Amino acid sequence: MRDLKAVGKKFVHVMYPRKSSALLRDWDLWGPLMLCVSLALMLQGGSADSKDDGGPQFAEVFVIIWFGAVVITLNSKLLGGTISFFQSLCVLGYCVMPLTVAMLVCRLVLLAGAGTISFIIRLIVVGSMFGWSTLASTAFLADSQPPNRKALVVYPIFLFYFVISWMILTFTPQ
Amino acid sequence: RHPLATFFHLFFRVSAIVTYLLCDWFSNSFVACFVTILLLLSFDFWSVKNVTGRLLVGLRWWNQIDEDGKSHWVFEAKRVSTIAASTEAEARIFWLGLIICPVIWTMFFFSTLFSLKLKWLALVIAGISLQTANLYGYIHCKLGGQKAISRVTSRLFGTADVPKRQSRRISQDGTEEHGKTGTR
Repeated sequence: MRDLKAVGKKFVHVMYPRKSSALLRDWDLWGPLMLCVSLALMLQGGSADSKDDGGPQFAEVFVIIWFGAVVITLNSKLLGGTISFFQSLCVLGYCVMPLTVAMLVCRLVLLAGAGTISFIIRLIVVGSMFGWSTLASTAFLADSQPPNRKALVVYPIFLFYFVISWMILTFTPQ
Repeated sequence: RHPLATFFHLFFRVSAIVTYLLCDWFSNSFVACFVTILLLLSFDFWSVKNVTGRLLVGLRWWNQIDEDGKSHWVFEAKRVSTIAASTEAEARIFWLGLIICPVIWTMFFFSTLFSLKLKWLALVIAGISLQTANLYGYIHCKLGGQKAISRVTSRLFGTADVPKRQSRRISQDGTEEHGKTGTR
């Protein structure tokens, strides 16, 4: 269907971040929703508190991602950006994809063991995906800002993906 | 005339509410309930926005970004010459379903807040925003052209300096377009 194809096309665009307007023009929030849910599902069960039924962490990840994205969007709009509210949410959401892939890899690596080597592998994978996410979203978002404000816009995005990467890296299954 | 559309219009909304109320019976897992209700709400949003509104009451709304990056919210209403009895019933079901469900989710919001079951709050807020978005969009379609709604929309979308274009262009299939609000 038309919507599914549009979502798929945007995923491909995030993988090869070229300055194209397709991601910006037809925004949709289905992709970010799917990514958010799958990331939250994979981050389940990492709590030290064993009587927890996993509820709060799931909702926490959800809230962090969406609230964080809203705050970054507000920040960029208040700095005088020309991009619209939902477009910015769309870009930030889709650029979580590399980190979701990193989470998948981390879970697979953790199946093999939780020693130093696996930590180093996870560090490298998460670090590179974090860089990819930040670069991809910056490529789309920073251009809508006047040149002397670019750092002010990039910094919250950096922080946002850093927090998500941190959650992924420090995840240890029960 | 569209029994399937009517059924699905109500099915997703009502099952989301029922699942929320009865989630403790179905499964112990918070995550499973959360994801199920979220999926139901998303299906409901998509079907009401894209399918049932168009089929049952002839209204539609969307957002489009044009070449220079400005975003427009477009609201359209189909001009109907005669209103059959079956269409009346369908329209009534549509509007009842559209209005009652956000009200119920708002009640859930307050009950969650006051009973301090805060982990459900994220879900309830998501439910309220999805359902209210459809409600607002369709109300705007229905009442488009009336001054009060346009003024509120202009203030919300910050179009104080952009003159609102009120064009009544009748296109080929009889749809009437009104209420183009330009935003930056």
